[in-house]
Amino acid sequence: MRNQLKFSIVLLVVGFMVALQYKTMQKPKERDTRDMWAIRHELATEKQLHSQLLTEIRDLDETIRKYESLDDENTEKVLMETVDKLYEQAGMTDIEGPGLVIEVGPSPESIAIGNTISAISPELLTRFVNQINRAGWTALEIDGKRYTTLSSIRDINGYTTVNGENITSPPFIIKLISNTFADSEKMYNTLLASTIHDDFYLDDLILTVGKPQKNVNIRGWKERYKNTELHELPKGE
Amino acid sequence: MWLPLVGLILGVTLGLLSDIQIPAVYGNYLSIAILAALDSLFGGVRAHLQQIYDDKIFVSGFFFNIALAAGLAFLGVHLGVDLYLAAIFAFGVRLFQNIAIIRRIMLTRWAERNKKSDTKASE
Repeated sequence: MRNQLKFSIVLLVVGFMVALQYKTMQKPKERDTRDMWAIRHELATEKQLHSQLLTEIRDLDETIRKYESLDDENTEKVLMETVDKLYEQAGMTDIEGPGLVIEVGPSPESIAIGNTISAISPELLTRFVNQINRAGWTALEIDGKRYTTLSSIRDINGYTTVNGENITSPPFIIKLISNTFADSEKMYNTLLASTIHDDFYLDDLILTVGKPQKNVNIRGWKERYKNTELHELPKGE
Repeated sequence: MWLPLVGLILGVTLGLLSDIQIPAVYGNYLSIAILAALDSLFGGVRAHLQQIYDDKIFVSGFFFNIALAAGLAFLGVHLGVDLYLAAIFAFGVRLFQNIAIIRRIMLTRWAERNKKSDTKASE
């Protein structure tokens, strides 16, 4: 009986340890630790997405309505309109609108000391683009090169390039256009308060953000897409 | 016979009901301790079946093995040598050996019992 009791105690310890290990191995379920404001914030983001999607649906509905209401003469016109719109979205057309003109130049201190002005680094430029992405823009031009969703900022053989074209050493100009003048003002204020200036200053550069302007011109992307994958099908008659 | 079973069930329930979470860092130690415990347990069962069971050896071995295994793992972590592998190897091999011996003893007993009932039936 005494032996059995001892054995039982040992088994109790073993059982306890096994159960503990088992419980530890079962990964604890992710607990929802968001507080009220985090949830509200997420709700706001979702709502924004919702309204954005609604706007897109409305646009597409409009296009469908146009397609449906046409007679043959108008077909081409509407199709051309769509194509134009797509060109505009792809950043191939010249665009004019409210926006900002930002100058990137060497800092006065570096000139006074006599530092060699080096070109802007791709990392810094990417950081800058990310910074203004946050505020939202519709068209962007970096040193005369149109920046679109397909553009790339890369270091090619030690030169910083946008779309494969070299960026001249500072000073050069960055132009951007936003939806409305109010958006431009918002962007201006965001940029004024941003810490990106410090990042530029570390590279002996300064960012001069011009006041929002009513009319900023941005050129279209010169290069056309090379279409290698899509082919026109023969008419199925 | 039922008392050890009750102990086991009680232990498992306690473990599952308690709100203790072992930090991931110490998970290793616990698993080695469990292995050591299982090894001692099966060693005890084997000794019991071989009629050489001594509860002092069993109980002291049980706790000492657990402490040694965890201590070895701890030392291994600090020395940068995976010493816990030694514990896993030793305990693992012994565990299998013990279970094999238990199985053989059980088989022998079963065979003997069969023989007895056969001779009884023929008589």
